[in-house]
Amino acid sequence: MVKFTGEELRKIMDVKHNIRNMSVIAHVDHGKSTLTDSLVAAAGIIAQEVAGDVRMTDTRADEAERGITIKSTGISLYYEMTDEALKNFKGKKEGNAYLINLIDSPGHVDFSSEVTAALRITDGALVVVDCVEGVCVQTETVLRQALGERIRPVLTVNKMDRCFLELQVDGEEAYQTFQKVIENANVIMATYEDPLLGDDQVYPEKGTVAFSAGLHGWAFTLTNFAKMYASKFGVDESKMMERLWGENFFDSATKKWTNKNTGSLTCKRGFVQFCYEPIKLLINTCMNDNKEALWPMLRKLHITLKSEERDLTGKALMKRVMQTWLPASNALLEMMIFHLPSPATAQKYRVENLYEGPLDDAYANAIRNCDPDGPLMLYVSKMIPASDKGRFFAFGRVFSGKASTGMKVRIMGPNYVPGEKKDLYVKSVQRTVIWMGKKQETVEDVPCGNTVALVGLDQFITKNATLTNEKDVDAHPIRAMKFSVSPVVRVAVRCKIASDLPKLVEGLKRLAKSDPMVVCSIEESGEHIIAGAGELHLEICLKDLQEDFMNHAELIISDPVVSFRETVLEKSCRVVMSKSPNKHNRLYMEARPMEEGLAEAIDDGRIGPRDDPKVRSKILSEEFGWDKDLAKKIWCFGPETTGPNMVVDMCKGVQYLNEIKDSVVSGFQWASKEGALAEENMRGICFEVCDVVLHADALHRGGGQIISTARRVIYASQLTAKPRLLEPVYLVEIQAPEQALGGIYSVLNQKRGHVFEEMQRPGTPLYNIKAYLPVIESFGFSGTLRAATSGQAFPQSIFDHWDMMPSDPLEAGTQAAIRVADIRKRKGLKEQMTPLSEFEDKL
Amino acid sequence: MEFESRYEISRTAEFIRGGNFTKAALQFPDELLKDSVRIVSSLRDELRRVGESDAERDGNAKDASLFVMADTAYGSCCVDEVGASHVGADCVVHYGHACLSPTSKLPAFYVFGKAPMSVSDCVKNLVDHAMTSGKPVLVLFGLEYAHLIQNIREEVVEACESRPQLEIQFAEVLCSEMNPPDKQNICNQGMVPAGILTDDKSFETLPGTRYGIGGLVWKLREGRKMEDSLLFWIGSDNSAFANVVLTFNGCEIVRYDATENCMVTDFSQQKRILKRRYYLVEKAKDANIIGILVGTLGVAGYLRMINQMKELTAAAGKKAYTLVVGRPNPAKLANFPECDVFIYVSCAQTALLDSKEYLSPVITPFEAMLAFNSRTLSVPHQLKLNISSTRDTQWTGAYVMEFRDLITSSLTESRSHSKEARFSFLQGGYVEDFDNQENDEEDEEGALALANATEKALQLRDTANSLVKRTVKSGAEFLATRSYQGLEIHNKNSLPEPYLKGRSGRAAGYLDEKSEKENF
Repeated sequence: MVKFTGEELRKIMDVKHNIRNMSVIAHVDHGKSTLTDSLVAAAGIIAQEVAGDVRMTDTRADEAERGITIKSTGISLYYEMTDEALKNFKGKKEGNAYLINLIDSPGHVDFSSEVTAALRITDGALVVVDCVEGVCVQTETVLRQALGERIRPVLTVNKMDRCFLELQVDGEEAYQTFQKVIENANVIMATYEDPLLGDDQVYPEKGTVAFSAGLHGWAFTLTNFAKMYASKFGVDESKMMERLWGENFFDSATKKWTNKNTGSLTCKRGFVQFCYEPIKLLINTCMNDNKEALWPMLRKLHITLKSEERDLTGKALMKRVMQTWLPASNALLEMMIFHLPSPATAQKYRVENLYEGPLDDAYANAIRNCDPDGPLMLYVSKMIPASDKGRFFAFGRVFSGKASTGMKVRIMGPNYVPGEKKDLYVKSVQRTVIWMGKKQETVEDVPCGNTVALVGLDQFITKNATLTNEKDVDAHPIRAMKFSVSPVVRVAVRCKIASDLPKLVEGLKRLAKSDPMVVCSIEESGEHIIAGAGELHLEICLKDLQEDFMNHAELIISDPVVSFRETVLEKSCRVVMSKSPNKHNRLYMEARPMEEGLAEAIDDGRIGPRDDPKVRSKILSEEFGWDKDLAKKIWCFGPETTGPNMVVDMCKGVQYLNEIKDSVVSGFQWASKEGALAEENMRGICFEVCDVVLHADALHRGGGQIISTARRVIYASQLTAKPRLLEPVYLVEIQAPEQALGGIYSVLNQKRGHVFEEMQRPGTPLYNIKAYLPVIESFGFSGTLRAATSGQAFPQSIFDHWDMMPSDPLEAGTQAAIRVADIRKRKGLKEQMTPLSEFEDKL
Repeated sequence: MEFESRYEISRTAEFIRGGNFTKAALQFPDELLKDSVRIVSSLRDELRRVGESDAERDGNAKDASLFVMADTAYGSCCVDEVGASHVGADCVVHYGHACLSPTSKLPAFYVFGKAPMSVSDCVKNLVDHAMTSGKPVLVLFGLEYAHLIQNIREEVVEACESRPQLEIQFAEVLCSEMNPPDKQNICNQGMVPAGILTDDKSFETLPGTRYGIGGLVWKLREGRKMEDSLLFWIGSDNSAFANVVLTFNGCEIVRYDATENCMVTDFSQQKRILKRRYYLVEKAKDANIIGILVGTLGVAGYLRMINQMKELTAAAGKKAYTLVVGRPNPAKLANFPECDVFIYVSCAQTALLDSKEYLSPVITPFEAMLAFNSRTLSVPHQLKLNISSTRDTQWTGAYVMEFRDLITSSLTESRSHSKEARFSFLQGGYVEDFDNQENDEEDEEGALALANATEKALQLRDTANSLVKRTVKSGAEFLATRSYQGLEIHNKNSLPEPYLKGRSGRAAGYLDEKSEKENF
C-alpha cells in the first residue's frame, strides 16, 4: 500500500531543506534497479516481500526481458523519519518528513546519455559498486560525469550476499576487497575533485559508504552497528564508527582495542568482529534452518518476525530476517538524508555550472538561493513517452520559482542565442505532473528544488530546453548537457511501402524526442539516418521506432554505417594553385596536419571561433608551438564553423585579401564538410593561404569566382598532402575469468582489435582487459565474444578516438582505397575519385 | 534518309504559307546548327515554289524572310520567343528535341527530326517484355522517333494477333504545331491519333483519365492506375526520359535504346535522383532566403508561377529575391551566397539541375511547394500530397515537373496556424520559423534589419571576431554579418591616393609574374 498521498507529497515539496534529488548510478549489472526496489518498497509502493525481484523502475517490457535498464526512470518517494533516526542530523530541516526524488539510471554504456540527463536534475548520486567486480569502466565514466556536474556521491558496496553465500570468504579477506573497492572509487573522485564541492571522497567511518545486498533487501552503514555497540562499550557513536573501520583491532579475549593486529587468534579487525561476523553467523544459521539457535539470536537483536514468517526456511527466511534486522531503506535513506545535499545547499555551488548568463543577475541569484518566489528557471533534461501515443512529458527540474498549470513559459531550445528569436517559443503548460510510483499525479504547481513533468510542451522541445517565465526576456538559458558518448553508429532506414513515408517521418520525430542521444537526420542522398551510441542503443531505438512510433509499419534497415574522417599525413608537397572560372583570380594554398591534440582541443571547445583571440593565441603558442602572430590569423574553423579544421592566412601584403575572406570561408566550410576522398568530413587539417592574385575589378573577384575556387584549391592541397582516412575506434573493456582470455584474444585479433591493458582484479579470479577496436569491426562483436567465451565475457565499448588508417587511399588496392570506394558507392558518387588535375591549375 | 524529308521542309513551308507569316525565326539547338544553312536554302526554295503557285492563284505573293536563331538564353528545348521578337518574327520553327511547353505569344512549328531505328528489333523487344511482365504496356518514346511509331504499331498488331492477352497502348504526340493560348486552338495536325490496340473504339470518347508528359498524351481506362502499367520508353536517356522516371516513379519502367539496339532495365541511378530531390526539399525547409531564378521567358504562365512562388515564400515567412541570370551555372549562383536555396522556374525538361556543384541547391517549383506549403493544396489528380495534421507537407513520392500543373492548384484555403513546431531533419530537432510567432512585426523588421543587426553586433562582444554564419532573414542582414561590406572610406585622409602602375599582360600570367612562372 502506498504510504503517502499526493497532497502530502505536494506539501513536502515546499520544504526545500527536506528534499533530496538523487540518481542511482553504476556499471551495468551492479544492482541499481534491484537496490532501488528496496527504497520504493519502504515507501510502500511495492510490497517488501517482492522488493529486489520486481525492478519497479524497469517499466518497459524489453527492460524486464533483457534484465537491463534502458531508460532512466524518476520516482518521488515520501518518508516520515523518526526523531531517533534524525537525532544526529546537523543540517537544516523542517519536520521529519522527507521527499526523495530518485532517478534510476541505466548502467550499460550505450545508454550513458540517460545518465547524463538524470544527473543534471539531481544533486546527489548513489554510486553502486559490485563488491566482487569492483569499480568498472562505466562506474568511472558516470562518476566523472557526476563530479563534472557537481553532484555529490555516496557509495554503496552492493551484492554483499555474494560474499556470504557464493564466495564464502572470511572476514579479513572481505574487508580487504571492500577496502580496495572504496579506495578505487576514491581515486577517481580525487582525480575529478572540484574545489567548490569540497572533499568528495567517501569514507565508511563517516557514514558515506553503505554495504548492501539489493537482492535481499538489506544494507547497513557503520552507523547502524555503531549505534548498537556504542552503549555497550560506553563510547559515543562517532568514536565507535571510527573503530569499526580501518586499522582498529579488537581482541575478544583481552577486550582491548589496538592499532595493529597483535597476532593473537582472538584479535580481529573491528569491522570483522562486530559487523561482518555477526551477519555471517546470522545468515548461516538461517541458511542451515537452525531455528533453535536462531530464535534466541533474533530476540537478542530485537527482531520480531510475524508468525507466518517463522515458517519460512532457507533463503526466504534469511531474506526476511535480514530485511527486518537491517532494512536497506533505513541505511540508504539515512545516508542520503545525512550526506547528500538538499537543493537549497546544492544549488549554491551548482549555479555557476548551470547558468550561462552573468552570475549576478536575478536568475542566477534565484537559482543560488533556490528561491520559490523568484523567477522560474526550469531545465527539461529529457522527454518521456506518455501513455497517450505520440505525446511526451517534458521531464525536468525546477531550479527556481514555481512551474504551475496553465502558466505561459518561454521555451529556449539548445540553439537559442540571447537577444535573438531563434529556437524560442512562448507556450502554456497544460498540466504539471509528479511521478508517484506507477501513477502520475497532477498538481497545481511545483516549486523549485523538485523534479516535474510538464504536459503540452512536447511539440516544441526536441530533447531539452530551458523554461522561464513569459516576461523574463533577459534570462539566459541553462547550459546544455555534455554527453560522454557520441552517436557514431548509424543506419539508414526506409519504408517498405513508399506511401508510409509520412509515418516514418512522424516516427523519427518521436524517436528523436524519446532519447537524449539518438540523432535522426537526412543524408545528402536523401536517406533517413538514425545514429546511436552503440549497437545495442540502435537496436532499442529501431525497435521503439517500429513498434511504438510507427504502429509496426514495415521498415528496411541498412547495415550499420560508420562515418569516417579525412585528414592529411604531411605538409603538401608543393604550393598548389587554382584559378577562378574566369581565370582572373588565383588562390595558392598548402595543407598540413594539425599539431597533435589540437583537433581534440577544438572538439572540446577549448579552442573555437568564439574565443577571445588573446586566450586562443596563448593556448596555441604555449601548448602547440604556434607563432603568436600566426594564431591571430586564423580565418575560420570548419565544418559548421566549429569543426576541427582551419584556414590560416599566411599571405603578406596582398591587395583586396579582406574582400575575398568571406568567400574563401564559404568555400572552406563546404569543402571541409565533404572532403576530396569520399565526401566525409575533414579532421585535423590546417589550410594555409599562401598567396592570392586577384582581378583589379571587384566585379570579377566576387563570390561566384572565389567560392568554388577556394573549394578546389582546398581539395588540391588536401590531395597533395598525403591524404588519409581516419576511422573511429572504440575503447572496449572486458571483464572475464582467466579461462576465457584465450577466446577474447582470438576474437579481438580477428576483428583488428588490440589489447593494451590486462589486469587481474586483486582478490578475484577476474581479469580486466582494455582494448582498442575499430567501430566498423564492432558489429556483432558482443555476440561473437559471448560465443567464443561461452558467455563469460561481456564487453563495454565506448567511442574513444579517431585512428588513422595507415594505407594510402590514392593507391589502388589498399585497404583505405577499398574503404573509400565503398563509401563512394554507398553515397552514389562516381566510383573514381576526382583526380588532382581537376582541382589544381597550372600557370 | 534524304535531307528534305528529315527536316520536313515541305510541311514547314506549308505552315509558313498557311499562316501568312512574313518573318519566320528558325531556332536551332547547337548540335543541328551545322545544317542550318542547308535548311534555310532549301526552305527558301520550297517557299518560293509554293509561293509561285499561290501567286498564280490569288496574286498577292509575298516573300517570307527567314532568320536563324542559335545559342538560346535558356534551354534549347523551349521556343525562344524573346529572341524571335528581336527580329520581329511572327512565327518560330523549332528544330530538334522539344519539350512542347506551350508558348505565350508566337505560334510555333516543331520539327523533331527523324532518327533511324530498327523497327522489327524494337517490336520484338516490346512484345517479349509485354509477355514476361504480364502487365498492360504503355509505350512512350522520344519525339525524334515519333515518325516510326505508326510502323511499330502496325507490326505490334501483327505480332499480337496470336496473343490476344497482350495489352499494348501507345501514347501520341500532342501536336507539332503550337499556337499561343489566346488563339485557343491547339491543333493536332499531321499526327494520326494512336488509339488503343485492344480496343479499337475512338480514343477521344473513351472514358478515362488523361495523362500527358513532355508532349506525349495518353488516356487510361477508368479504374486503372498508372502504377499498374509497364512503361516502355523508346529513345535515349535524356532529360525527357528522366522526367518520365521521376513523374511515374511508382511504375515499372524499361527503356529501349534505339541507337544501341538494346534494353536497359536498371534505373537505380534515377531512383537515387528522386531521393536526392527529397533531401533537397528537406533542405529547402530550413532556408530563410530564397532566390527565384527566372529560367524561361517563353513558357506560358511563367509570370504567374513566379508570382505564385513569391506569395508562397512570403506566406512561409521567408524572403525571396527574383533573379534573372540566363542559364544558371555554379559560378553565377555563387554570387548570391545569401540565398539558401534557389527555385528554378523553367520548362519541365531543364528544371532538374543536379545541384551538387552549386553552393546552394536548386529546386523546382513543385519542390518549393512541398517545402514551403503549410496549407492544403488542391492538386491535380496524379499529385497526392499527404497533408498531415502538422504544418509539414509530407511527400509520398508523387512528383510533378511541369509548373503548369501546379498553377491549377488553388491556394485559396486560409492558412491555419499549426500547433507544432517544424522538425528539421538536417538539424535533427525542432526549429522555429520566424513567421510562426511574429507575423506582424515582419515588415518593420525587414526595413530595419540592417540597423538591428548592427545594433546586435555591437551588443555581442565577440561577433566581430567570429565568422559564424548566423541565421539571417534578408540580404541586408546577411551583408551586415559579412566581414567585408564594401569599400572602406577613410574620412580622415581626403587627399587622393597616389597614382600606381597596375598589372599588364594576360590573366594566364601577367607580365610581372613571368619570373615566377619559370620557377614552377
